[in-house]
Amino acid sequence: MVVKPALWALLLLGLAMLIVWPRWGLLAWWQRQRERRERELREDALKHLLKCEAEGAAASLLSLAGALRVGDGAAAAIVAELERGGLAGVEGGRLRLRPAGREIALHVVRSHRLWESYLAERTGEPEARWHRLAERAEHRLTPAETAALAAKLGHPLYDPHGDRIPASGDGLTEESGPALENFSPEQPFQIHHIEDEPETVYAHLLRLGLRPGMRGYILSRDDAKVRLWADGAEYAISPGMARQLSVRPLGGVTAAALRGERFLHELPAGGRARLLGLTGACRGAERRRLLDLGFVPGSLVESALTGPGGDPTAYQVRGSLVALRREQARYVRVTPLPGGTP
Amino acid sequence: MNPSSPAPAPAPAVEEILAQARRLREGIPGDIHEHLVESLYADAGRIAERSVSRPDRPARPTFDRTLDRIVTSRVWGLPVMLLLFAFMFWLTIAGANVPSQWLAGVLVESGHPWLRGLADAAGFPWWLRGLLVDGVYLSTAWVISVMLPPMAIFFPLFTLLEDFGYIPRVAFNLDALFKRAGAHGKQAMSTMMGFGCNAAGVVSTRIIDSPRERLIAILTNNFALCNGRWPTQILIATIFLGRLVPAHLAGLVSAGAVAGVALLGLGCTFLVAWLLSRTVLKGQVSTFSLELPPYRPPRLWQTLYTSVLDRTLLVLWRAVVFAAPAGAVIWLVANVRLGEGSVAEFLISGMNPFGLALGLNGVILLAYLIAIPANEIVIPTILMLTALVARLAGVGEGAGVMVQSDSPAFVGEVLRAGGWTVLTAVNLMLFSLLHNPCSTTLYTIYKETGSARWTTLAALLPLGMGVALTFGVATVWRLLAS
Repeated sequence: MVVKPALWALLLLGLAMLIVWPRWGLLAWWQRQRERRERELREDALKHLLKCEAEGAAASLLSLAGALRVGDGAAAAIVAELERGGLAGVEGGRLRLRPAGREIALHVVRSHRLWESYLAERTGEPEARWHRLAERAEHRLTPAETAALAAKLGHPLYDPHGDRIPASGDGLTEESGPALENFSPEQPFQIHHIEDEPETVYAHLLRLGLRPGMRGYILSRDDAKVRLWADGAEYAISPGMARQLSVRPLGGVTAAALRGERFLHELPAGGRARLLGLTGACRGAERRRLLDLGFVPGSLVESALTGPGGDPTAYQVRGSLVALRREQARYVRVTPLPGGTP
Repeated sequence: MNPSSPAPAPAPAVEEILAQARRLREGIPGDIHEHLVESLYADAGRIAERSVSRPDRPARPTFDRTLDRIVTSRVWGLPVMLLLFAFMFWLTIAGANVPSQWLAGVLVESGHPWLRGLADAAGFPWWLRGLLVDGVYLSTAWVISVMLPPMAIFFPLFTLLEDFGYIPRVAFNLDALFKRAGAHGKQAMSTMMGFGCNAAGVVSTRIIDSPRERLIAILTNNFALCNGRWPTQILIATIFLGRLVPAHLAGLVSAGAVAGVALLGLGCTFLVAWLLSRTVLKGQVSTFSLELPPYRPPRLWQTLYTSVLDRTLLVLWRAVVFAAPAGAVIWLVANVRLGEGSVAEFLISGMNPFGLALGLNGVILLAYLIAIPANEIVIPTILMLTALVARLAGVGEGAGVMVQSDSPAFVGEVLRAGGWTVLTAVNLMLFSLLHNPCSTTLYTIYKETGSARWTTLAALLPLGMGVALTFGVATVWRLLAS
């Protein structure tokens, strides 16, 4: 029979084509994957150099290998590749960015922070995943796409962690304020930035409910834990976690005044209050929605109706009746007014 | 500016202005959009204060306050809601009977033979007459006559309640429940709409403004037992379950069984929403706010117009578009011969072992496969296929012609001749609740989500649950019976 060998030959030919076909074959696919991985590593290396530059720290082969989680040999190969491309070079024993490399690194950082803003504003993705998703998106976006994204988001200046989104052509300025651990008790502050690495610590802080923009002060501090007051609630965190929070001193307000702040969810049924504003923890679409509904400073609110299960509560504000869940009402700062209608 | 952006480089003067604008913007503390909204409200408030005179009365009428107290009260909220909806369903089911029969009389009983005669007079060959008249026309006519009247009653009633302002209060009442499942209170509205028609329910999820909660509402809408499945449930419960008990309890038992299936559907809604929000749709409620509009007398004509046009006709049109080709397929599988028997018999005997393992049979599985355009034509297709396979004489008008089911006793006879037991009936009721949505709904899900992946999940998730549940019930049933 000649049919059988012919069949085998056909099968082998098919298999070979599957592997070596110019654009769709396995080899081509594998090659593309490798190129992509290498490009991502190069971009991450440039990002590391940019961050070191902004922080005024010296970048070395060792710090690069640590940041990229690769061996020293691989890091050296990446640096050699960057030097060949004119993106970075060694000056005075230090790794430094060249203008072309700085432009790429800025684009990557910009894409990362814009993507995080996008996730925060337009999607329901949980905050703990933003960083990881943005780490992937930053290598995918082209400059044109990044520009379109910025335009779509209204050219935001800060990402949801409180980091500045660099404009292209700008430098990167790391203006993280002093860490919370350096603050003395009773000194009012506003949380400015929450460091998103390492991820587990970040996720824990988020779970507790701490967000950039919240205002508070330290209640007490010892070696084991830091107790702090922020936007109407008490939080206890370890000193290590307190190091992840950078804060800014808050002028014109005392700790006692912060302690005395009232929030909408504390309003008793039938109670009336004047609105002071939304807390910094309320962001993105949620914040805009509340503003649109009339939850702006100066509005009068009345707790008009409580749901059968005690939640949500409907509030009369600017002539309309709007139901909010307890978590949303917590975002609204108010001054209670005496004499609510029954 | 961005060197790699496609726009031509602006002149230096423009660049300078833009740079200055950026510097100025950076000098503004806080969020610029927020300042805009706040100043808009401040200005609007000032203007209104100067130029609008208000008669001396409270911000909310006493009537609204009193009514809200009652419909959202811990004691009366739920009973009022249940009574209203029970009344609505009763009105829909009872009220749809008369126009449905009238439409069936015109379109099916007189229209069908008349068209057959016309086709014969025009000299159509038998297969063309069968394909067009018995297949395409009959299934389309069937879908219209059983689908149109209930929808034309249910949707206006629902829209009237919505317009009056009651439906948002239901969402308000049930929000705590939906919150536990990780969903949005407004899903209460789309679920209720789903009891009328899942396709309309999926469309009505547009009111949920956060994308994650909206997807949950879309994916779980199918668990609301729609109008097309109520008659199946009632018919099967009457024929098989009502007979298990003495005659005076029969009505109660079958009604209880149908209500039980509907409640099981609600349970699945919450369970699946809970599972989805902990697996593929993780995340927080991105936005939540629920406006409770003031009560107002419903605008009757406008309501009728919009509900008939937007909801009823849209859904009906989509159903007809899918029913016509399905009619052709139904006729073809019953008439195209493959060796010994028809394609239908071939497929049924192939699927029978799997069907029996689920406590169903091959006929049911094939019927769900080819009657995918609308749940309304499942029972007529099952009857036709059963008669075909069991070679019952005197049932229906031949292969591929769907059988009318006016009398439960007659349907019961046909089905028992097809080998149905109480287990088959129970599992059919369960499978009718838990299977893939009809193609009209699937198409609507695709249109609303714009994603083939979510549409696939929406189809496979309930189907998988249905297969698992019927298999479990059948296994336990057989263990207990042996």
